[in-house]
Amino acid sequence: MTSSGTSLDRAALKQIGLLGAGAIAAIAGLMYLLAWAADSTGTGSAVKPAVDPTGRTITLLLREEPPQLNTTLATDQVSSFVLGHVMQGLLRYDIDGRLEAGIAERWTITETGATFYLRADARWSNGSPITAHDFVFAWRTAVDPASASQYAFILFPIRHAEAINSGARAVTELGVRAADDLTLEVDFERPIAHFEKLVAYTTYYPVNEAFYRSTNGRYGADYDTLLYSGPFMLTRWVHGAQLRMEKNPHYWDRESVRLDVIDFPYLTEDPSTQVNLFKDGRIAMTGLSEQSLEEALKQRWHINRFMDGSVFYTEFNHRPDRVTRNRNLRLAIAHALDADELVNKVIKIPGFLTGRSLFPSWLQGVDRTLREEYPVPQRTPDTAQARAYLALALDELGLDQLPPLMLLTGDTPLSARQAEYYQARLKSELNVDIRIDKQTFKQRLAKMTSGDFDLVAAGWGPDFNDPLTFGDLFASWNLNNRGRYANPELDRQVRIAQASLDPAERMAAFGAIQQIIHDDVVIFPEFERGLVYVLHPALKGVVRRAVGADPDLTRAYIEEG
Amino acid sequence: MPSPHMTLSADDLAPLPRTEAANTLVRPSLSYWEDAWRRLRSNPRAIVSLGIVVSLLLFALVGPLVWRVDPAQQDVDQISQPPGADRSATVAAPLAPWRPDGRAPDAPVLALDGAATTQAVRLVWGPLPGAERYRVYRNLYPAERGQAFGMPLAELSGQEVRAFEDRLDLRPQTWHYTVVGLDARGNALPDFVTLPVTLARVITAADAVARGMADREQDLPPGTVVKFALHPLGTDYLGRDLLARLMHGAQVSLFIGLCAPLLYILIGVVYGSLAGFVGGRVDQLLMRIADFVVALPFLLFMILFKIAFGIGPGESGIMPMLVALVLLSWPASSRLVRGQILQMREEGYVGAARLLGASSPYLIARHMLPNTLGVIIVTLTFAVPSAIFTEAFLSFIGMGVAPPTPSWGSMCNEGIKSMLEHPHEIIFPALFISVTVLAFNLLGDGLRDALDARMRSRE
Repeated sequence: MTSSGTSLDRAALKQIGLLGAGAIAAIAGLMYLLAWAADSTGTGSAVKPAVDPTGRTITLLLREEPPQLNTTLATDQVSSFVLGHVMQGLLRYDIDGRLEAGIAERWTITETGATFYLRADARWSNGSPITAHDFVFAWRTAVDPASASQYAFILFPIRHAEAINSGARAVTELGVRAADDLTLEVDFERPIAHFEKLVAYTTYYPVNEAFYRSTNGRYGADYDTLLYSGPFMLTRWVHGAQLRMEKNPHYWDRESVRLDVIDFPYLTEDPSTQVNLFKDGRIAMTGLSEQSLEEALKQRWHINRFMDGSVFYTEFNHRPDRVTRNRNLRLAIAHALDADELVNKVIKIPGFLTGRSLFPSWLQGVDRTLREEYPVPQRTPDTAQARAYLALALDELGLDQLPPLMLLTGDTPLSARQAEYYQARLKSELNVDIRIDKQTFKQRLAKMTSGDFDLVAAGWGPDFNDPLTFGDLFASWNLNNRGRYANPELDRQVRIAQASLDPAERMAAFGAIQQIIHDDVVIFPEFERGLVYVLHPALKGVVRRAVGADPDLTRAYIEEG
Repeated sequence: MPSPHMTLSADDLAPLPRTEAANTLVRPSLSYWEDAWRRLRSNPRAIVSLGIVVSLLLFALVGPLVWRVDPAQQDVDQISQPPGADRSATVAAPLAPWRPDGRAPDAPVLALDGAATTQAVRLVWGPLPGAERYRVYRNLYPAERGQAFGMPLAELSGQEVRAFEDRLDLRPQTWHYTVVGLDARGNALPDFVTLPVTLARVITAADAVARGMADREQDLPPGTVVKFALHPLGTDYLGRDLLARLMHGAQVSLFIGLCAPLLYILIGVVYGSLAGFVGGRVDQLLMRIADFVVALPFLLFMILFKIAFGIGPGESGIMPMLVALVLLSWPASSRLVRGQILQMREEGYVGAARLLGASSPYLIARHMLPNTLGVIIVTLTFAVPSAIFTEAFLSFIGMGVAPPTPSWGSMCNEGIKSMLEHPHEIIFPALFISVTVLAFNLLGDGLRDALDARMRSRE
């Protein structure tokens, strides 16, 4: 078409307007058509309510998919959450977070060992009885160097476990026996003050040997390559998409389970998706992010707050080929970053506490909390000092300019924001370049293990309710010490904390560990995590806890009416 | 139509005297380009689009010289500020540590200890009946019995602890604080105390100097009102200037948007004219190769190039993106040019030129290229928006630029996360992408009309 003169200006505008209106109408029409099509075809797209009292079903979302569900290998919180519902160990936690009888009916613990008497009615999900042999097999598998379990260290209180794990002894020498089908006897390497707390942990769960062998090395890789000992069992696992738990009909305490199905049809870490799912009534529970918090206030939801007990920190790579092995460089970075500002201005979620130490503030010491008894010195952000340390570090490293540092981090919006904040902060304070390596959870763990980072955003949640769950993290033998920090003095203090039965001596050891970690800048503590979340008003009995599976839905129920 | 009666005489048939006027052309002779420009100019949509394209180039290239703000500079006191937000702040002394012992009142009321500022809100309250410990909430709305109290800020550890310092994300606004008593098991008791607090924005003199708001701390006695740095389009989730980020993002977007099409259309033209001009088996072979390239998946190759280039995590993926675009996008334009050349080879004027002894280079330069130029330029203008869109999409999914470098796509990716709370963070980059793509499309449309030689005779 051609145009000439001013009258066609108007014609052109009119044309554009008509086209625009037409396009909007067409898109609106198409959306209605698609919505109608989705409604009228099949049940797959129909919206299920978040809580369904008749089917005793609740619908939730999972942030991430568990990497795998072999209890002897699991390390992460998502696996721990799922396994805490489908598996059970010798002991379990009650609603108030105290230990109570699980598969073991009663038990006795002495200085040299422990004996657990198993329930006769404890059954696997295929109906076969859970015996003491299943525990012996599971614990042997976990400490076997061939399985390379990163949690083998948690079994080290058992006699010979450490020697077996390092290959010095045969697996069969592990200090655990089945005296008969229902009696499990454990010998200790040395007296231990907190063995009860340990046996409720994932790595101590039983594994059925015959079934394990029948899976040809795929144990825990799918829902049908697992046997379940807990209140629920997995009945669907579409990798990367959904999970479904149903009540385990063979669970010994099935009367106490008041839900039939826990469905996880959504797998997303996106906070706005999570909050929209809750708003639309499709899920019964969701955590809130800094952005969705404002929406929650406007919706006038009842917001709950909970400290999940975990600490987050930037871990330095201490391997010999890394510049971060230099203590002055670590000091420079620790003085350049500001954890207070990070928590209050960047993260902006209520309940986060500024990180000061590897040991979170809730841990109990002898009489008061550990942090009150052993206060940690504070390091305040100080640009001048940071630059002075950097100059020293460059001098020692023989460099004019630091190479770009690799910051390994997660792929959630929050970790991305935090990484970018660090990047700008280190650039402006120290003129150090940071390259951000965003990875999925699985991939990040792999890279942490192989040491492919200079700095990594890491965190640690408590496995059992004792400062040792944090205290031995940086022991040179701990595989979760991803930066490969090695310090004989710290190792010595960890040994004291592990072996001593005297609370005062143990707490003094933790105080010493805390001081070493602070002085040597093993990590830069960022925060203790707080969570804010909203619950469907009819969903009751949800237990949040720092130690063990969180959230715990094993005693949850739907309130009628 | 009735014609008047007319008689012709011999004079009427005499030839006119020779004058210069008869040889003078009434309309000036127009070259192809002059004519195309004339037609383009009379197309208002195309001219407006051309204006937008030129201003975008100026925005990307000259803008950063005028608006000298570092796009990576963060300002944690001005996070997610919309355009035109109030920038004033009062100078205050640095925050001193708080010792709340013994400051709590005895009556069951909630009170402020000191002024409520964006540094800290310090609350103290009297004992509530039956409370073992207390929980502090903050809300947008006044507290009402039975309603939600808002966001829980903290749970305090004992009966005697009746003071709380709030420093979380304080902005100049009004918050309604509520303190609820809890029983021994942590259940909320019915009694609560509440207090609306309006926060004043303050800044310490040292901070103000560090931000360049004043030269010396001595110039800033407490109480002075200062203004934060101006952000005409607001700031993003880390307090970075959106205008500066858009300008630097435009550089990335326009670099890919202009370089990639220029390169791949050049390849396409050379390749296509070779195939078309030589013809025969060579043509067949070349075109089958082009078919093969069309079948290669772009995203996969983009990732492969990223690995092949040794580009690790945290480094910019712009170069592999350019290479992937250039190496995989040329077949479309080469087919177009080949078709044109094949058709033209059979035209009469080409045959005539050949008969008159024109060499192949002459034929290509004089006849073929000028006649395909219209098609080439139009393809180019349509390729630009698609390349910009590709860059935006790849940066949106995190395959493009590495932080802190902005691009429009990555800015959209960041902005969409807080779309409901801070819409300006996504509206501006999205607007720029839309306007740019639309402008290039309309310009291409106008150029197609203007450059089409067959349209010439229609006026």
